[in-house]
Amino acid sequence: MPTEIDLTELDQLCGGAKEYTEFGLNYVLLPQLRLPSGCNPAVLDALLCLSTRDGYPTRLYFAQQVSSKNGLNWNASNVAILQRSWFAYSWNYVASGRPIEVLAQHLKALQ
Amino acid sequence: MNVHFKITAGLLDGIFADLRRPHPFAAERAGFIGCKASTCRDGALVLAHTYLPLPNDWYVDDPRFGCVFSADAMRTAMQFALTEDASMFHVHLHDYGGAPWFSRPDLRESSKFVPDFWNVKPDLPHGTLVLSADGAAGLCWYPCQKTPLRIRQITALGFPMRFLGRAG
Amino acid sequence: MSDLFSRQSFLGKDSEKLLRETRVGIVGLGGGRTLKKQQSAHVGVGRFAIFDPDNTDFPNLNRTVGATFEDAVSKTPKVVVAQRMIMGINPQAEVWPIQSEWQSDFPALRACDVVFGCIDGFSGRAQLEESCRRAMIPLIDIGMDVHKGDPYSISGQVVVSMPGRPCFRCMGFIRQRDLDDEGRRYGEAGGNPQVVWSNGVLASTAVGLFVQMVTPWCRIHPGSAFVGYDGDRFTLEHDARLTVTGKTQCGHFSGIGDLGDPFWKP
Repeated sequence: MPTEIDLTELDQLCGGAKEYTEFGLNYVLLPQLRLPSGCNPAVLDALLCLSTRDGYPTRLYFAQQVSSKNGLNWNASNVAILQRSWFAYSWNYVASGRPIEVLAQHLKALQ
Repeated sequence: MNVHFKITAGLLDGIFADLRRPHPFAAERAGFIGCKASTCRDGALVLAHTYLPLPNDWYVDDPRFGCVFSADAMRTAMQFALTEDASMFHVHLHDYGGAPWFSRPDLRESSKFVPDFWNVKPDLPHGTLVLSADGAAGLCWYPCQKTPLRIRQITALGFPMRFLGRAG
Repeated sequence: MSDLFSRQSFLGKDSEKLLRETRVGIVGLGGGRTLKKQQSAHVGVGRFAIFDPDNTDFPNLNRTVGATFEDAVSKTPKVVVAQRMIMGINPQAEVWPIQSEWQSDFPALRACDVVFGCIDGFSGRAQLEESCRRAMIPLIDIGMDVHKGDPYSISGQVVVSMPGRPCFRCMGFIRQRDLDDEGRRYGEAGGNPQVVWSNGVLASTAVGLFVQMVTPWCRIHPGSAFVGYDGDRFTLEHDARLTVTGKTQCGHFSGIGDLGDPFWKP
């Protein structure tokens, strides 16, 4: 069973936010997350990992690679999580905490 | 729609051990298997995880039938389906060798109680299995389909894999 | 039993049918994987799902069994080479050639009865194992390394992840620190050395384990397998990591939520 994560703030930002646990790691699905301006695509599904995985304390995955103002190192591609394929850029040292703040820290990379 | 039912050898052995225990009055024992589901390119997978045995006092003494389970049994299985978001499969044993099949009472009764699981989990497949000493057969009530499907393949995972029932 | 497989009738009276009806997934078609598809076709496997996004080229021609010089010139997709080889051995085989990463086609992977994995890196292996465990598919992983040094040395392994039995993590084959190191890496620095003969030993071992898994011929039932290969001394031995754990069940893939499709729709 998923551990208790308060999804209220995430759900207000992105309706339909839902928590999943896979092999002991906690994820929040963010359907149709709106990204900062200048990103392409502007809206897409994202997956916030709130557990330490692959050397990152938390990580934000996207349904596809996103182009943005900043050049980012997309060092995770076609990562299989929850039976879907995800992509992520390297943006480290975002500690786990209040989910909305974790998300905001990760999205800073796209601003 | 092709349905493939998979179970680990360890879980299956545990089910056999339970179903072979004698009961004070029931000729046959039964249980429920909590499963998860997945689609695949050529159909659907039903993946067994948890076996719910029926305690002795969850059987009803009815000499007309080999096994009649009580409302407690159904309630527990429904609760498991709801809590674990699980597909439920009833299972019992015809302990002889060869390919088993359901008796007429089996077919009649399962067509009544299996669809009841859609009251708690309407989007999931549910069904029933019958085991023999060296085989298995099953029926699956798949969402949005009124009549049950014969399970095409039942596989016990282990070394070696046991292909217990392959329907043509 | 047909004449075609009369010399392997010892595998069991129904073995021809069992192998013909089994669908094998082969993830990655370089090196040892090409031998696995070849040998699987020869023993009578009738259904294949083959996953590889890459093309044949000169750097991989030294070990891509079935590929020709012309394939390297024209950069024939590896799945096309594989399909051609399989159909040449068994024209009745059903082959799904998937020219992409396996993560692009979960339904095809899930339709497999057994998967052979030959993926570089621990993270890729971990993901493939997770997906196979979700669909309750036995995974046979093979890997080979040429270790740089003076002198060089060759080693490898074949590891079986059987649902309900110890997984790669249980066996110590995949460790968290390896996953963390890989996750932080900023890209590969060129191709690793690879040679066909040690791939051949490992691929044949993997196919042997597969046949032992699917047919009833052998009385030895290992449950799991972790076979280590010393490519300098040409020895295969059971890796101590499997026996040292003493485990018979998996502690990592044990919850009901670890099965099936979390986004299930009928």
